[in-house]
Amino acid sequence: MIRALTTRRTETTPFLLLLPAVVTMLFVVALPLVFSLWTSLTPYKLTKPDTLYDFIGLRNYVRIFGDWDFWVAFLRTIGFLTVALNVEFVLGLGIALLINKITWGQRALRTIMMFPMMFSPILVGFQFKFLFNDNIGVVNNALQSLGLTDQAIPWLVDAKLAMFSITLAEVWMSTSVFAILLLAGLFAMPRDPLEAARVDGCNPWQVFRHITLPFLMPFAYIAMAIRSLDVARAYDLVAVMTDGGPAGRTELLWTLIARVGYDEAKMGQANAMAYVSTILSILFTWYFYRKLVAARRYMGGAE
Amino acid sequence: MRVSVESRASKQAKKVALWLTTFMLMLVMCLPGLWVVLSAFRPNREILAKPPVWIPEDLSLINFGKIFGFGAEQVGIPVGSYFTNSLIIALTSTVIALIIGVAGGYAFARYRFPFKGGLFLGLMLFRAVPGIALSLPVFMMWSKLGLVDTKMGLIIVYVSLNVPFTIWLIDGFFRQIPLSLSEAAQVDGCNPWQAFWKIEFPLARSGIASAGVFAFLTSWNEFALASQLTRSTDSKTLPVGLLDFTAQFTIDWAGMCALAVIIIIPALILTFIVQKHLIAGLTFGGVKG
Amino acid sequence: MAEITLEKVVKKYGATGVVHGIDLAIADREFVVLVGPSGCGKSTTLRMIAGLEDITGGLVRIGGKVVNDLPPRSRNISMVFQNYALYPHMNVRDNLGFGLKIAREPPAEIAKRVTEAAEMLGLTPLLDRTPAELSGGQRQRVAMGRAIVRNPEVFLFDEPLSNLDAKLRGQMRAEIKKLHQKVPTTVVYVTHDQVEAMTLADRIVVMRDGHIEQVGTPMQVFNHPQTAFVATFIGSPPMNLLASTIVGDAVRLADGSTVPVPDRLRGFVRDGMSVQLGIRPDDISPLGHGLSQDGPGAELNLTVELAEPLGMESLIYTRIAGQEVQAKLYGPRIVAPGEKLTFRLALDRAHLFDAATGKSVRAD
Repeated sequence: MIRALTTRRTETTPFLLLLPAVVTMLFVVALPLVFSLWTSLTPYKLTKPDTLYDFIGLRNYVRIFGDWDFWVAFLRTIGFLTVALNVEFVLGLGIALLINKITWGQRALRTIMMFPMMFSPILVGFQFKFLFNDNIGVVNNALQSLGLTDQAIPWLVDAKLAMFSITLAEVWMSTSVFAILLLAGLFAMPRDPLEAARVDGCNPWQVFRHITLPFLMPFAYIAMAIRSLDVARAYDLVAVMTDGGPAGRTELLWTLIARVGYDEAKMGQANAMAYVSTILSILFTWYFYRKLVAARRYMGGAE
Repeated sequence: MRVSVESRASKQAKKVALWLTTFMLMLVMCLPGLWVVLSAFRPNREILAKPPVWIPEDLSLINFGKIFGFGAEQVGIPVGSYFTNSLIIALTSTVIALIIGVAGGYAFARYRFPFKGGLFLGLMLFRAVPGIALSLPVFMMWSKLGLVDTKMGLIIVYVSLNVPFTIWLIDGFFRQIPLSLSEAAQVDGCNPWQAFWKIEFPLARSGIASAGVFAFLTSWNEFALASQLTRSTDSKTLPVGLLDFTAQFTIDWAGMCALAVIIIIPALILTFIVQKHLIAGLTFGGVKG
Repeated sequence: MAEITLEKVVKKYGATGVVHGIDLAIADREFVVLVGPSGCGKSTTLRMIAGLEDITGGLVRIGGKVVNDLPPRSRNISMVFQNYALYPHMNVRDNLGFGLKIAREPPAEIAKRVTEAAEMLGLTPLLDRTPAELSGGQRQRVAMGRAIVRNPEVFLFDEPLSNLDAKLRGQMRAEIKKLHQKVPTTVVYVTHDQVEAMTLADRIVVMRDGHIEQVGTPMQVFNHPQTAFVATFIGSPPMNLLASTIVGDAVRLADGSTVPVPDRLRGFVRDGMSVQLGIRPDDISPLGHGLSQDGPGAELNLTVELAEPLGMESLIYTRIAGQEVQAKLYGPRIVAPGEKLTFRLALDRAHLFDAATGKSVRAD
């Protein structure tokens, strides 16, 4: 039955209510984005303020797309995010399924699970920097005390190990988002289809694949949409753990932007790179937002 | 009879395995944090000791005193200023974001209007801009406006950072309140404004509070923009402080751990309070936490 | 005086019309029930009277005054919602007194009126509880109490009993009727349940697809339905409709068998007209087991397909001219499937409806 969402209000009230939000976003985000676009089309250097008004077209973009360092950082970032998000999803699913089976103390477990989400990424980065320090970090100390190795493992220095450590930190920090939302999904799932499937002869894996998983997908999309908003928090992580080093071995797109823009003062170029990362971020978010809207409809929230 | 005994045994085994895995899981979640917290109470010489000292021998609050500028050992970390800055900035930006968020969230929850979907999407997409990417032009603009290294400058940015998610959450919370309550109030004699304040707002209060907690934590924990828009103790926040000192050549690990603990505490307390409501809001009331 | 008039009232959502121009006059203190299937526009109409929906076209008057642009609080109405809409964060006393508090009545007056309403509805022991601590029936009564307390000119009810189980529904129905006797105010009541409509209404308004099909007292609507829709909507089990044609003085059914055209309908039909013969199950019974055995009737030999014994009567499924039909057997006799019986149709209680328009051939 069609039920009107509103009563008699179809006038200007909603726009007035939204005005502060719109003004804020326009001033603090839209305007800078326009400014950033302009800057990316100039050779602006902080040290030479006049260069802000020289228009050089797409030369910055051409330059960065021809730059080897840029591509390395870019691809490393994409690889890092792909691995991290997939691992987070699978782990989050596993954790959710696990906790779903526990009958006692669930609320406490859920609270504990939320903690990693609430830490500042700087804190998480510091925490793992402390743990993985080759000299005094507890990980190396434990490994050596247990006799598993006799050398200090360079967790944050070796190229592959460093990326591994950073990915570990990221997964540790954000798996909870998936775990919690998927757990909420498991709670919300009606029992009847599961029982019907078992009566119809499905084994547990089939039940999971054909009944549970499709029902959980909307929740997964909500999690992906939320993650996509915050995926750049990984910058904080890297900044404190390795700052893109040593010698650029863990340089991600964001640390590169910070380095080029602030350390090397090449604002024009940095803005070009920033724009690339912004557009990617927006596309990513948009993709998952559409899935999210579909999920919202599926779960009965009115539009 | 033998069959049921076997299956009972295997059921027990499964249960044990379940509990064990969960326990390991919780350990992995908590241990890193716990280790940092523990280290915060140990002096540097213990932390740096080789061979490593496993059982803490000397627990004290000396590190906390150190970073705040008390006691025999002093370190040049103006944690007191960082703390007040973080607090003021986070609180102010949260309050403003909540006011904007309640207005906007209510608009989305209760009204139908053209471009509604597009507006919501636009808010979300603005939020998707990476912090560091946004910091470049904001830094340039703020320099011209004299807002660099001011608390106000950071507050304004944080408000815009928090508005989209706050609106999303509060939209969800208002949707959980049946419209018929507002209608009943209007039939009972309220104008729409009264119906909102006397009926809908009180009922959404806990949801709005949890949206506020989330906004507070976002501001409290933010680094990318803070690192560029602050210069001195006038406006530097705790996360920036932490990085500044971990980037030094010789790191005062114990002091840093103490600083980390100070940053964590509000987060832990607020998380505990808010966890139930957050889930309900995120799933648009489809699931009651 | 609280009479309500609707003049050519229209409701559209964008381009979609939901109510297509209805006219209705409700007298002061009358209990009018709007009834119809889901989506017929009855709730929308009620909400337009309440002021909770904008009125796209036409006029609504309450007490002679045009209220189109007045907000709900200025219309001097009360409403009982389907899900009661009790304020969850207030106890029963505060729920009842809320409207008076908003109207800035003095506390003594509020207390007095709340106590009166609570007593009238048996709510006195519950005054300090919150809605969460009440049962469905209790919540219903609080919702009604909240409506009474303000002494409005008009009571509006939006399917108030739908959320109750059948037994409770029966009890509450009686309570609403008693309440109206005690507090005679104009009532507009919306429901999809025709039993509620029949038992509560002074007049019933049958609606379908945004139009009014018929307005009349329960007996008028039951005995003289003006359309096939009203005929089958009101009354349970529903009226049987048989496709047939008029041949001279008789109604010819699909299989060729005929029954005479009922006396009171002669002169209203033409030869060759396609019609539907409408006859209620109560008016088709095996010989000797019907409500009345005199008056004009037609006899048919039919085979019982299914019999549902209900105690002192049975519902019988059979076929006339190949079409499935329900009939009633009054009395304790049990019939078995396959039995052949002679059934009597009470022709004076039969109806004829134009097959094309659905309208009764005789418009009264």
